[in-house]
Amino acid sequence: MIRALFSGKLLLVAAVVLAVLAAAPLMLSRFYVYLMALILVTGLLATSLNLVLGFGGMYQFHHAVFYGFGAYALTLMLTKTGMPAAAAYLLAPCCSAVLGLVIGLITVRLTKLYFGMLQISLGSLVWALAYRWYSFTGGDDGIHGIPIPDLLYASTSAYYFSLIVVAASLLLMYLIVNSPFGRIFQGIRDNPERCRAVGVDVVRHQLAGQAIAGFFAGVAGTLFVTVEGSVFPELMFWTLSLELIIMCLLGGWFVFLGPMLGAAIIVTLRTFVGIYTEYWTLVLGVVLMLLIFFLPEGVLGFALGKARPAAAEAVGEK
Amino acid sequence: MLRVEALRKSFEGFVAVNGARLAVDEGEVVAVIGPNGAGKTTLFHLITGQLPPDSGSIRFRETEIAGVAPHKICRMGVARSYQVVNIFSRLSVFDNVQVAVLARRGKTFNLLRPARTMAVSETRQILKSVGLGDKADRVCGLLSHGDQKVLEIAIALGSRPELLILDEPTAGMSPEETAQTLRLMKRLVAEFGLTILFCEHDMGMVFSIANRIMVMQQGQTIAEDAPEAVRSNPRVQEAYLGETAPC
Amino acid sequence: MEFASNITAAALFQQVLVGLSRTTILFIVSSGLSLVLGVLRIPNVAHGSLYMIGAFLTYSIATAAGSGAFGFAVALLLAPLGVALLSFAAERGLFCHLYEREHLMLLLFTFSMTLVFNDLVKLVWGSDYRSLTAPGFLQGSFSISGLPFPRYNLFLLVVGPLVAFGLWYLTNRTKIGKIARAAAVDREMVGAVGINVSWVFAATFVIGCYLAGLGGALVAPTQNITQGMDHTIIIEAFLIVIIGGLGNIWGALLGALIFGLTDSLGILIWPQFAIVFPYVAVVIVLLFRPKGLLKSTW
Repeated sequence: MIRALFSGKLLLVAAVVLAVLAAAPLMLSRFYVYLMALILVTGLLATSLNLVLGFGGMYQFHHAVFYGFGAYALTLMLTKTGMPAAAAYLLAPCCSAVLGLVIGLITVRLTKLYFGMLQISLGSLVWALAYRWYSFTGGDDGIHGIPIPDLLYASTSAYYFSLIVVAASLLLMYLIVNSPFGRIFQGIRDNPERCRAVGVDVVRHQLAGQAIAGFFAGVAGTLFVTVEGSVFPELMFWTLSLELIIMCLLGGWFVFLGPMLGAAIIVTLRTFVGIYTEYWTLVLGVVLMLLIFFLPEGVLGFALGKARPAAAEAVGEK
Repeated sequence: MLRVEALRKSFEGFVAVNGARLAVDEGEVVAVIGPNGAGKTTLFHLITGQLPPDSGSIRFRETEIAGVAPHKICRMGVARSYQVVNIFSRLSVFDNVQVAVLARRGKTFNLLRPARTMAVSETRQILKSVGLGDKADRVCGLLSHGDQKVLEIAIALGSRPELLILDEPTAGMSPEETAQTLRLMKRLVAEFGLTILFCEHDMGMVFSIANRIMVMQQGQTIAEDAPEAVRSNPRVQEAYLGETAPC
Repeated sequence: MEFASNITAAALFQQVLVGLSRTTILFIVSSGLSLVLGVLRIPNVAHGSLYMIGAFLTYSIATAAGSGAFGFAVALLLAPLGVALLSFAAERGLFCHLYEREHLMLLLFTFSMTLVFNDLVKLVWGSDYRSLTAPGFLQGSFSISGLPFPRYNLFLLVVGPLVAFGLWYLTNRTKIGKIARAAAVDREMVGAVGINVSWVFAATFVIGCYLAGLGGALVAPTQNITQGMDHTIIIEAFLIVIIGGLGNIWGALLGALIFGLTDSLGILIWPQFAIVFPYVAVVIVLLFRPKGLLKSTW
């Protein structure tokens, strides 16, 4: 199965990259290890968004909800129940998947912009609940000092855990993108009408896509909790959702590892520019504005259904 | 196999289809002709479930399919091609047909197997039978218009239909391409036992292949008969009087 | 959890009035957003930033001009104009080159602008929040059936309909209004008739942003002027515009009413979760009318 998708050369490159990433904590200070863990987590989140955004063509305007929901789910399970940690870690992403299904059931019958807008309102509703429910979610303070299992508590351990989980998740998502489901899903992006005409139940597939994307966003949420030890409502705020879309745009949303690249760029920029000036948001904003302004029309455009041979060849298949 | 009766569809006051009727028997090749705006494409949309009719009945093999969702109608054995090329522009020729084959085989929720290894021989077979075998890996945007129209048919074939509905299959094609498509259609009926319902403006092509012809004008069926009878039908002649050459 | 423990006729009446005064601010901001969205098809996320800048400017001008009625009046006059000027520069410098872009790109572009504006505000005014007290005669409250009703809210209840009337007059009775409405529906046709669409767009954009600034100016005495203002108002404004119908000013009014009233009545029914009520209302509206309550220009 893996053999069929990856050439020997690619496997070698992947092995080298993983080796380098695994060796990183031995060479870098704790701060950089933390930073890299954050990049991995954000990259996973952005990739999960791109499943439905770039590959599915859905206007996923509030993906952060599933991220925050997974983070809160894990936190609440660890702090309020006596559940074994392993079970909590497995269950939390499933909660996000369920949320993805529930919100999807409400939104998927709409198309494009209206889908996105209803998702924003539902997502904002969930955020508002978390924001105000002091007794349960900690309200706008969030929850801190979460009892992460000892095995994963240290900065390095959290990093290795993230590395393993992210690598596994990326592999799974890559398989999904290249599976029959992935093909159909991309077909739905390009031509939902034709998909129906060849017997594809578009709504059902889109729901499945939402659940899968939600699941992996939830995984990213659990990793965040592991790395940070805290959870707060900002994880579900709309600004994060838009930032994620920008990450996908930046890295290239028709390329599988594009969002990961975009996430790395933005997190790195934020951190390093932040060292020199407290106005790093300004720098980020200007860079993004320049990028969007000067990007020739349609190169990274959301050109649904437009025949673009160059872009077609760049579709994330190796 | 297909029975359409008293079908009506209007859009905000404009009546596109006004009491159309049609009968297609197994193994037949039936053509729908009529001036531009007669409602042919709308009729096809109604039959394939893309639009729900206001009233009337569409029966496929004794099952009422009026208003049924398009993907369900396809699963019953009806596939179509489109007048304006409506393919998966970002995928290759092979991938386009493979989508239809995978959908037919019910493999669309398979999450982990690599798609490129699935349904390969069936897809290649279909491409070969329509003459696109050597262009399988090309990206659709690079195909000629004629080849894209043939791809349209290939995708429809991926669903292994019993009834194939073709909306102007030779529109915009050169004479050689038209002749090739004609031969393909004849082979589909003879070798694969398909029933074909199509609409066209190219009268020469229609008369050389159709067993029966249905004539539409302003949304109504004004004639439904064997080709010769239709040719000499005064109402039909009147409808086409002054018609300029097809686009 | 005090659930529905405060509902009396008086409290209801008072909260309705509070809700209506909140509606004023929401309507003014949302109508500006709707105007820009409807005519220029730009989902201007930076609209919230302009609101925030309007509030900060009002603080500075009012404080500089000496607190009191005069200072506030001057601020109310100049702050929105300042915002309008800023938006004019943005439109001529940036937006007029972007009209043909896809909505998603415009959304991301304006979002990037909020990042820039946010830091610019931090640069000029620092990170601390500001407070502005209303001028003397608008301070305090008078009692309605024994419950306090702030005088400033009454001021808002007067200003609201005035602005609504002004907008109605502008869009329905003036030439530029009619042209803008036509351009909202068919910009090519308007251009074909020989009208300089570019200037129509510029004017509409500036007016829309002026409204954002005005909203910020009016809200300044009622709450802390903080950095996060832009984020909260913009999601509210967008949701209001969405439920009202994209580009429909009266839809914005309807949406603002729904939002403002559900918020204030929510305080009566379940104070802790008051902010959830408007979102629930939005979801309910969108479930039944996904394209908004009134006709959109899209």
